Amino acid sequence: MSQSIRIATAPNSATAPLVRFLETAPGRLLARLLLALVILTMWQVLPTKGLRFWMSGPVQIIARLWSWILDGSLWPNLGATLLAMALGYVIGTGSGIALGLLFGLLPRLHRVLSPYINALYAMPKIALAPLFVITLGIGIESKVALVALTVFFLVLNSTLDGVRNVDRDLVRSLALMGATRIEVIGKVLVPATLPWIFTGMRIAVRYAFTNTLLAELIASNSGIGFMIEYYSGVFDATGTYAAILVLVIMSVGLTEVLTQVETRLSRGRS
Amino acid sequence: MPRDDVAPDAVKIRLTGVAKRFATRDREVQALQPIDLTVRDHEFVALVGPSGCGKSTILNLVAGLLAPSEGRIWYDGEPVNGLNRNVGYMTQKDTLLPWRSAADNVRIALELKCRSVPRAEANARVRQIIDLVGLNGFERHYPAELSGGMRKRVALARTLIYQPETLLMDEPFGALDAQLKLLMLAQLQDLTRLRRMTVVFVTHDLGEAITLADRVVVFSARPGRIRTIRDVDLPRPRDVFRIRFTEAFARLHEELWDELKDEVTQGTDV
Repeated sequence: MSQSIRIATAPNSATAPLVRFLETAPGRLLARLLLALVILTMWQVLPTKGLRFWMSGPVQIIARLWSWILDGSLWPNLGATLLAMALGYVIGTGSGIALGLLFGLLPRLHRVLSPYINALYAMPKIALAPLFVITLGIGIESKVALVALTVFFLVLNSTLDGVRNVDRDLVRSLALMGATRIEVIGKVLVPATLPWIFTGMRIAVRYAFTNTLLAELIASNSGIGFMIEYYSGVFDATGTYAAILVLVIMSVGLTEVLTQVETRLSRGRS
Repeated sequence: MPRDDVAPDAVKIRLTGVAKRFATRDREVQALQPIDLTVRDHEFVALVGPSGCGKSTILNLVAGLLAPSEGRIWYDGEPVNGLNRNVGYMTQKDTLLPWRSAADNVRIALELKCRSVPRAEANARVRQIIDLVGLNGFERHYPAELSGGMRKRVALARTLIYQPETLLMDEPFGALDAQLKLLMLAQLQDLTRLRRMTVVFVTHDLGEAITLADRVVVFSARPGRIRTIRDVDLPRPRDVFRIRFTEAFARLHEELWDELKDEVTQGTDV
């Protein structure tokens, strides 16, 4: 890729050293920092007094975030978001895997229930958020319910895909050796389904994150989503942007953790 | 009926009027016409015939993986209903678990509760049987890293290690080269005689059938019928490397080939 670009620009001897510099690691980093500096400076100095009210500025936003850290008001909200997300994820993943494997063992039961499951899977779960709020309140329960439900259907479906793809001949050959049902599950069904389950779980992390925030934005009394909703409600642009900045940092962190886990897992399997 | 009292020529497997039809989308296919077949205790019976004549169907019926459309199947005087766990079945397709190494695939039968063996003994038996099928040095390879012939040998080792009293084999050595095949035939003959196993062996290789079997059953083309049953009265133990050059072997081969060749030519233009 970089090779072909260099060939395209090489004849111009004046730009050649700059292009070469940009292809080195420190060069790239410097270019990125420079770009960020330009944008942030423009954001800081260009807006007029009127616009400033809606747009705030980088210095004010960082200062606000810093003050949240200093007075400790950030942590309960950050904790609330992470806790709701984690609880919902664990509950949804656990029940999704369990039911998926159960359906794999009892295909007749699955055939009876599948139209309902498909209908619920297809429905955007966010539509249920107001319902959860009136039944479970604006605390953590309604957030966990929404996240768990979303994650549940995702993981259930990928588990079912995995179970459907298990080679029946493997199951039969083990049963012929005298394996009990439990042994067939432990030695064939689960290991054969594991890659599918992992795929579902990986996708579900992002859905859990998004849905936690959606639940908080709709109605709640804590969390990063609640902060965004609250500060924009009182026309505090600085607070809103600072909360969004927290969100950006969380997403980057989450992506990084996921990548790390994935590389470790794939290394373990090969 | 206690095993000790069974006379050497007692009946192990009996099929009476067994027929099998398969329903396909628009019609019914007769895979097997009503047949009667008896396999005695400790007997080695080879089934030969053109492809699609229902040889594999017979093994599936004896293993209890399929139910007959007509007739009955008896094993040890008991009707076969559901899986027949007294048999070790080596199917045409090797049903190795892709996430287990060769040695772990071989070991799996010894991990089941019904055949549980102390770890040290299991290790020793795995080593011994791996040595027997000539897979030293490939213990830690995964099925995907092995050739077709090697996978067949892993499957063979897996079936032999738990010493089933009856062995059902569906073209076990089809993928092996000629020299290795002879070596495997020799090992199979020694083992089945040593352990006094009953064997039903499906093959399309008439020479292989005569070399190993006490009786050869020749099938007609689809729908399968028994065309002829021939006793192989060659003395045991047989030298699998030389027996094919003896006159008795040649006579048998010619006689059975005459029966088979009409069916093969018939089978091909179906």
